Amino acid sequence: MEYNGSLKTLDERVAYLENKAREVRIEIVKMIYASQSGHPGGALSAADMVTALYFDIMNLRPEEPRWPARDRFVISKGHACPVVYACLAMRGFFPMEALGTLRRFESILQGHPDMRKTPGLDMTTGSLGQGLSMGLGIAMEGNMLGASYKVFVLLGDGEIQEGQVWEAAASASARHLGNLIALVDNNHLQMDGHTDKILPMASIEEKFRAFGWEVLSINGHDMREVLLALELARGTTRSKPVCIVADTVKGKGVSFMEDLREWHGMAPDSGQLKRALEELGGDR
Amino acid sequence: MQLEKAKKPTRRAFAERMKEYGSIDGDFVVFEADIGYSTYSHLFGDAFPKRYFNMGIAEQNEAASAAGMASDGRTVVVCTYGVFLSMRALEMIRSFICYPNLNVKFLASHGGLTAAIDGVTHQATEDIAILTTLPNMKVFCPADSHAARSVFDLAMGTPGPVYTRLMRDPLFEVYSGSETFKCGGSHCLREGKNITIVSYGDILFQALEAAESLAARGVEAEVLDMYSLKPFDADGVLASARKTGAVLVAENHQRRNGLGYEIAAWLLKNCPVPFDNLGLDDTFAESGDYPRVIQKYGISCSTIVSRALQLLERKETL
Repeated sequence: MEYNGSLKTLDERVAYLENKAREVRIEIVKMIYASQSGHPGGALSAADMVTALYFDIMNLRPEEPRWPARDRFVISKGHACPVVYACLAMRGFFPMEALGTLRRFESILQGHPDMRKTPGLDMTTGSLGQGLSMGLGIAMEGNMLGASYKVFVLLGDGEIQEGQVWEAAASASARHLGNLIALVDNNHLQMDGHTDKILPMASIEEKFRAFGWEVLSINGHDMREVLLALELARGTTRSKPVCIVADTVKGKGVSFMEDLREWHGMAPDSGQLKRALEELGGDR
Repeated sequence: MQLEKAKKPTRRAFAERMKEYGSIDGDFVVFEADIGYSTYSHLFGDAFPKRYFNMGIAEQNEAASAAGMASDGRTVVVCTYGVFLSMRALEMIRSFICYPNLNVKFLASHGGLTAAIDGVTHQATEDIAILTTLPNMKVFCPADSHAARSVFDLAMGTPGPVYTRLMRDPLFEVYSGSETFKCGGSHCLREGKNITIVSYGDILFQALEAAESLAARGVEAEVLDMYSLKPFDADGVLASARKTGAVLVAENHQRRNGLGYEIAAWLLKNCPVPFDNLGLDDTFAESGDYPRVIQKYGISCSTIVSRALQLLERKETL
């Protein structure tokens, strides 16, 4: 579609992606309003990173969704899938109209990601704490094939409470998987409240470092930082997996949704939709 | 019927075939969870080190990363004990292997009470109930080392996820090695007209011994090996039930939700006949030597004989 691969300077790329992320947020809010069901908070907090991946960083062919050389993306925090659905539709993997069918009967857009139903989805996810393992397996496959593709896995800061995440973390560094990049959407909120109140995990950075990963800390809403970190991480040949810990705000971009646990899994009503679209510049 | 004492457990025969198959099919890989010298998956690893991944003592990650590796079509064989696969890694198998219907094959050792000596934590006595309930999953259980070799090929040739239940100890050789095995197939190892005994895995031998013992009392028992548990040979069971008019299922598993329940539901709908099923009766077993444990928990030859005779009495009073 309007993806412009010819943009050159960093400033231009950042400006382009900032505007794209705004459009992605609009689609997130609209589709969750249309289905009257879904998870806006965690989709909005991840919107800048996922937009940067789909509109700049990842090598993809929308006309050939399972192109063998494509970069892979696994959304481990599967409930935030509206952000991926928006990006896939806007990149032309399927028609934009499909976004209005989110969670509906016989839709290609299931409540949680289904790789067999949605063109462009690399992996089925939804049960928390498992995506890093699956990304690990895809990265092992890439290594085995000698392929140059990278595997990006988006984790929530809540789901790293699952023990399996650390089984995968140990395994990835033991196998020197430099083609595996984890992004932690550190929005500080989980379903029942702030992560520090539910089950504090102390320093995410130190944990991944202790497991043998290279770690970068960024502001997950500063597109320049996001872009530079992703570019650094995807870099050339390296022997360690990379974890980007992104400080974010749940519900980012819609003021009345920000940092409120209630917006983890609630759909806006028509008045709230109107306000959200105004804030996001939907009429522009 | 004199059966030869086996030299090899099914886990070993299956793994040996896996190693041979590594030369036939150069694409599939094997995942292990640190019991490669028990599942014998190390045989494959020694021969094909670049295609063998020991994932450590982390079965959940083993299963989920196998899903990732299989997501673009590669076949992955995941090895560990049935008790861990069927419960600890269950959600990964269900949601990320069965749901997307990926080509992941499970080598599940220590099926039923063949792990008797290891105690309850290592005895997979609910795995058939759990795995056969998952959509897209196929479940096989070979009865001897010849069958185990054939069933490895069958698992590889059957699209989607397949769980193969294997045994810890050498038992008896039932097959010659020339038989063919197919998904949804069964073998009739002894023909009879009075009662059908259906079994699989290690208990098949007990069923054959029971049939021998029943023959001495003038009862002709038909013995079916239901090595393909899902799908099972529904037509074969039906034909035999119509012929004999009584069906007894004996399995090394909980009675509840095992093959017995599956066949009971099928017969109730299509051919109601006097029926009974043997297995663990809503109980855990214990450590001990295999023959005494299966005797105590009611799945040995002697229980099969006595329950078959009771079933025949019911049949005669109809």
